[in-house]
Amino acid sequence: MTATAPAGAAPLLEVSGVTKRYPGVLAVDDVTLSLEPGEIVGLVGKNGAGKSTLIKIIAGAERADEGHLQLNGEPLDLHRPHDATVAGLAFVHQDLQDVGDLSVAENVRMGIGYPRRLGLFVDWAELRRQAAESIARLEVEIDPRQLVGKLSVAQQRLVMIARGLAQQASLLVLDEPSASLTDEEIEHLFAVVRRLRDDGITVVYVSHRLEEIFELTERVLVMRNGELVADEPTTSLDRGSLISHITGHEHAQTASERRASRGVGGRPEAEVVLEVDGVSADTGVRDCSFDVRKGEILGLGGLMGSGRTELVRAVFGADHRKEGSVRVHGAEISDNHPSVSMSAGLALLPEDRKTQGNIMDFSVRNNITLASLDRHRVRPKTPFPSPRSEKLAADRRIDRLSIATPHDRQLVRLLSGGNQQKVVIAKWLEQGADVLIFDEPTIGVDVDGKEEIYDIMEELAAEGKAVVFISSEFSELVGVCHRVLVLHEGRIVGELEGDAVSEPAIVEICYSQH
Amino acid sequence: MAETNTVPVPPESAKSGSGGSRPRFDVLSFISTYGVFITLVACIVIFTVLDSDFIEIDNLRTQLGLAAPLLMLSLGLTVVLAMGDFDLSIAGTLSASAAAIVVLMVNHDWPWGLAVMVGVAFGLGIGAINGLLVSYVEMPSFITTLATFLILLGVEYMISDGRNITGAADMPDLYRDLGIGKPEPLTEFTSPVWIAAGLAIILWLMMSKTELGRYMYAIGGNPEAARLSGINVKALRALGFVVVGFVAVIAAVSQTARTASSIPRVGISLLLSAYAAAFLGAAASRQGLFNVPGTVLGVIFLQAVQSGLTILGYDRDILDISRGSILVLAMLLTALGAKRR
Repeated sequence: MTATAPAGAAPLLEVSGVTKRYPGVLAVDDVTLSLEPGEIVGLVGKNGAGKSTLIKIIAGAERADEGHLQLNGEPLDLHRPHDATVAGLAFVHQDLQDVGDLSVAENVRMGIGYPRRLGLFVDWAELRRQAAESIARLEVEIDPRQLVGKLSVAQQRLVMIARGLAQQASLLVLDEPSASLTDEEIEHLFAVVRRLRDDGITVVYVSHRLEEIFELTERVLVMRNGELVADEPTTSLDRGSLISHITGHEHAQTASERRASRGVGGRPEAEVVLEVDGVSADTGVRDCSFDVRKGEILGLGGLMGSGRTELVRAVFGADHRKEGSVRVHGAEISDNHPSVSMSAGLALLPEDRKTQGNIMDFSVRNNITLASLDRHRVRPKTPFPSPRSEKLAADRRIDRLSIATPHDRQLVRLLSGGNQQKVVIAKWLEQGADVLIFDEPTIGVDVDGKEEIYDIMEELAAEGKAVVFISSEFSELVGVCHRVLVLHEGRIVGELEGDAVSEPAIVEICYSQH
Repeated sequence: MAETNTVPVPPESAKSGSGGSRPRFDVLSFISTYGVFITLVACIVIFTVLDSDFIEIDNLRTQLGLAAPLLMLSLGLTVVLAMGDFDLSIAGTLSASAAAIVVLMVNHDWPWGLAVMVGVAFGLGIGAINGLLVSYVEMPSFITTLATFLILLGVEYMISDGRNITGAADMPDLYRDLGIGKPEPLTEFTSPVWIAAGLAIILWLMMSKTELGRYMYAIGGNPEAARLSGINVKALRALGFVVVGFVAVIAAVSQTARTASSIPRVGISLLLSAYAAAFLGAAASRQGLFNVPGTVLGVIFLQAVQSGLTILGYDRDILDISRGSILVLAMLLTALGAKRR
């Protein structure tokens, strides 16, 4: 019944006419698709396009209002997540759902049941053996006795995949699995995914990183506004046409084209705002010096773990600065505390908007004014915030940054990832810093949202602010930055400016360090 | 950012669905929001029907007087709970300072003002130690304050020798007034009621109307994000414990002045009730946050149940079982609707 099914072979999973409504929202709109045994399928779409809801329905975490599922030609009725596990459907979520205080072996076999002795006591040796078997299929060395909390993020993802294998899964859904992995780790992840495919397991790969979709997948499903708008072999698509499917409008520009069309050149001739001199920290930052001028966008590139985040945290005073000095407008920041840096005119928009950027249970309004509450007083010199002044400020930021929220009292928790990021940006715009450090502001943000964040940074620079931009996607740095510093093992090892800024040049510096 | 007119859309939205968008009265969400109120009103109605003495103004006066120390304690707890910390030592601070103040006045003939000042200094000191250990040394608040609680119980035993110290005759009238007096011109209720009410208003203003309170809730929501927003997280968390230490002593003064005695371990019976009141208050709030009006409601709730059952002549056993059951019922109603969201 589907166009992609090869004649004779039964599809693994069929989704027919599935629709899911939330109050006021049609999250999934009559989606029909099928997954074949042993293929790697990419699932892409903007935040809020309906990908997560569709996955939740397949995972048994949500019930579809209409439509049905079939597994190997048999009707599949999922009432709870456990049903999906039993049916051989495994899910690895972006935010890891492992138990850090338990061992690898315990995590791998969790939910399947542990082997017993005398029907009562856990047979630890057998448990470790079984877990080691699942892990071995991933061709990775992880000690089953190790505590999961001590593993790297990449290893934890692999443990979660091993759990899927232990469940005898025939379908594995990976949601943004490459987030916070190094390039090497991503390569290994890809190799694992391909090997599973060769073993006949179907892998659904969800990602905002289109390069990965092109490198890994054989077929791409694109969702937009709850509908499945494209279901095509990957080879028949190029970056431009894929972005058009995702956004619904013609909109394809490579980073260097963006750079050229925006006329991004070298750093502007202007006064220096931020001077960092010989900064070192216990987090691995070693003797880093740089400066940023008024109106400049400075990129910080480097591989995952190269010390970019650690450097800006030490500059801002979020981590202890062991050596070196930081000056804003020529005045040295004496103390190591965020509030001191803030009053000097420095702002850090941290890497993780959920754990560091926002108070998720605060309203949009209260988050936006949190860092500048003393400017929204009923009367100066009284410690009472004025709700009216706060609302005015919040509404202005919501409007200017196009934050998609029904009203300023909405809890930030209920916004999509891209909009949560905009709330963090709004907070710091409201605070009025002269130097804004954006640490990975586009992680988990869809194509349109990314473009909006670039626009915001460019606007800030045009207003005379100094901007520091950290990204793991070098193309972003190329599209936006006047100048790029490349870090390696906590040191600044390269600098590119103006026409010299290009992806190959950044990659070249990163890899010539080994 | 060229966009000029943007239409806000719901989060995670795709497009307007055909169903579900019309506003509709939802019984379950009503119950979950007002579960605590509903149970309280039901209890008041039932007690009044069974015995009309319950709603008498005299009973109301008595009950508020009895509840005042509990209210003070619960209010202090609300501040630390809002920041995500626990303070168990509060019962120890109350017991030890109660014993100290009474012994100083009765056995050593200290002037009552000086004895109270020593008590307050003691409470502030305990709060500062808790704050230092939890906030600056970064020890977990639950076990840290459990430890200081145990130490304080020992201190109380040392001071009182484990005996009731009564001394209505040796207590200055001015001190007794703090417990049973009806201050002019507010003669409607006894002093502890007014002190508790004043404390409630001050803490309510602090928690919901000042920058300080906003920062405290921010710390409770996400301490790291609060710190990176320039909030002095350590100082505020420590301040919370100092506030608790202070109100514990005020509660001790109200209690001892009313009963003209120091009863060993007087704080322990109040400890669990204070937590119950604060959690009831959080359950009664829309977002499940600890808050001052909610805590006041929680205390009134607990005292109403206690009073109603006492008037009906039930003994301690039935009283405890009923109190526990009604608590479960109130929380159940709240959880029932919350689950559906």
